[in-house]
Amino acid sequence: MEAALIGTSGRGGTVVSEPVKAHANLFLVPEQPAVSVLDDESRAWLRDLRSAGAEHDAAVGRLHLLLLRAARFEVARRRPTLPHLRGNELDDIALEAANDALVSVLARLDSFRGASRFTTWVYKFALLEAAVKLRKRAWQGREVPIEPESWSLFETGGPGPAQEVFQQELLGAVQDGIARLTPHQRGVLVALALNGVPIDVLAERLESTRGALYKTLHDGRRALRTYLEEQGFDASTWFEDER
Amino acid sequence: MQRPDLKQSLGRLLGPREPEIGCDDCFDQLDAYVELELAGGDTEHAFPGLRAHLEGCPACREEHESLRALVGGEQAL
Repeated sequence: MEAALIGTSGRGGTVVSEPVKAHANLFLVPEQPAVSVLDDESRAWLRDLRSAGAEHDAAVGRLHLLLLRAARFEVARRRPTLPHLRGNELDDIALEAANDALVSVLARLDSFRGASRFTTWVYKFALLEAAVKLRKRAWQGREVPIEPESWSLFETGGPGPAQEVFQQELLGAVQDGIARLTPHQRGVLVALALNGVPIDVLAERLESTRGALYKTLHDGRRALRTYLEEQGFDASTWFEDER
Repeated sequence: MQRPDLKQSLGRLLGPREPEIGCDDCFDQLDAYVELELAGGDTEHAFPGLRAHLEGCPACREEHESLRALVGGEQAL
């Protein structure tokens, strides 16, 4: 959808506009953290994992137990949302997550800067692996919708006719703004933000990554917000109590 | 079935208003963020854009909640 488009503005007039272009859409880039002084426990973990022979093997075994505990924690938190999975399947997922997290942690050992305790640092790898596997399992065999369901499904209306009209105009402008995004931005925005597809599931289907898809989502959101503001809708006043 | 609320749906569509970091930087900083958060520190100042990212990214938000619950539970023991 790269050609000029004809649409209806949020205030009732017909406009001819160019496709929405993303601009000034860079993420914040954090400063590189300084190397922190390691606490005794973290230093012992690094020493043992960098050792050789039986000491190394024992440390890897302890690390795997730690990761398995974190993966099981995540599985237990999500279990109510996965009623179709049996206990042994969930155990298998936790074990796979711990195994994959172990590989990640050992490969990234030199990137641990001591900004947190070593155990907190490794937990996040196990939680990530377990969460991603569970999201993918929950969507296994399901179609990933990248088009809006019916817009009429939204709850509109307010205390009076003026509010109702405003919301209908706003909804129309949102639809116009989404239509003006690039096809990739539109598909990602609709799937993730409107249809609730988990980002890891979409990344797998599109052979992409979470980071790349979130950048696309971010750019699409900024472009949509800019379009709405150009149409006279002030986004700063909508969601004061909704975030 | 209750229909989705327009404002909430628009909130998800438009994402956070504030500048945010990306998913990879969020993952890199999440452990230190959670420890400072649990200690009652100033996470806004120490990790600019991370809270905004958690608002906009459901997956990172879920993983933040899990890490906070896991580490916080250990500290409570």
